[in-house]
Amino acid sequence: MSIAHHPSEALLAAYGAGRLDAGEHIAIATHLLACAQCRAFVRAVEQAGGSVLAELTPVPLSADALASVEARLQQAPERFSPAKAPPHQKMAGLPRFVQTYPFDEWRSVAPALQARTIRLPHASLARVFLLKAGPGTRLLEHTHSGVEMTCVLEGGFSHKDGHFGPGDFDFGDSSVDHRPLIDDGVDCVCLVAMRGRLDINGILGRLIQPFVRL
Amino acid sequence: MGQGMGLDRDAIRPDWAVLIVAVSARGDRAAFAELFAFFAPRIKSFMLRSGESEVQAEELAQEAMLMVWRKAALFDPAGASASAWIFTIARNLRIDAKRRTRRESALVAGDVDDEFHIDEAPLPDARLAETQTEANVRNALAQLPPDQLRVVEMSFFQDRPHAEIADALKIPLGTVKSRLRLAMRRLRSLLGEET
Repeated sequence: MSIAHHPSEALLAAYGAGRLDAGEHIAIATHLLACAQCRAFVRAVEQAGGSVLAELTPVPLSADALASVEARLQQAPERFSPAKAPPHQKMAGLPRFVQTYPFDEWRSVAPALQARTIRLPHASLARVFLLKAGPGTRLLEHTHSGVEMTCVLEGGFSHKDGHFGPGDFDFGDSSVDHRPLIDDGVDCVCLVAMRGRLDINGILGRLIQPFVRL
Repeated sequence: MGQGMGLDRDAIRPDWAVLIVAVSARGDRAAFAELFAFFAPRIKSFMLRSGESEVQAEELAQEAMLMVWRKAALFDPAGASASAWIFTIARNLRIDAKRRTRRESALVAGDVDDEFHIDEAPLPDARLAETQTEANVRNALAQLPPDQLRVVEMSFFQDRPHAEIADALKIPLGTVKSRLRLAMRRLRSLLGEET
């Protein structure tokens, strides 16, 4: 499987630094599951984090800090290694931790377009959902008032930046105006992390927008 | 931030990986104390730079070192460097602490670790694994121009929007973005990856 579209280095760095919003973290993790190259980059970012940590100017701890940690060394770990939650949702292409989250039912959001919300256990600026579009569907021309990250799980689509298949990552913001065309033959399922509102351009879009509940 | 991340190659330091293995193999307290003396004050520094209060930074530094003790058996000396491994412990604790402060989460520590655990297929090629060695990364970082390095450093430690970095460094926002982009691209290419 060859992946053509990757998250930007800045996004991967923010992921490795632990600075991403919870929902956006999921979109990147979904891509990483499919992409060894970006996993290697994230490891490099973590190595850089280690180098940076080692070079920081030390700030002394309280005088009894070591003693108080040593006093706790033999205690049974209270919060470590919680029992792993069984997956709610087995779905190829999703990282395991995402499969442990509750998923809503599929609901129709527009003709040939269904969405399924993933309920995150943490507050997130981005909403995360699966989006399923029927073969050959042309999605509406749209831009975003926020940021949208998409990772393809099944099937594929094309827009002016090329073709996107399983594992490919697409980033949309207010500067992007695209109109994806879903591949023929199979449904396309994507994981989407979206901040802000979807804006649909054009008169038809504005008429139809009330019916697109995303 | 004044010291930047001057990569001090000449400093003679113990082999942290050996000390972590000693903690894991025989609960070596002396090895732990050495790790503590070096890393705890730096983790505290990391937490302070990340915007934690003095009290919280102290607590998180202690908690992180406790995790180093408890998780020592999970450390793989052939994988990430010791400092990178400890960085990920500190990173995950900070995320967890933030969630708990904001009462955002019903879940407990350990979940953040799961969120960074990607059940991966083996790397397609050994060359990729080689790019992950700390020496390579240090080399790559050392080759970055100082102005790019500074922007990268700030982006590591602060949840600051780019606008605030621009403000702190007194450079235009576009410059922050382009330096960060250049630095990351360069880092990626220095690591020998194709894009």
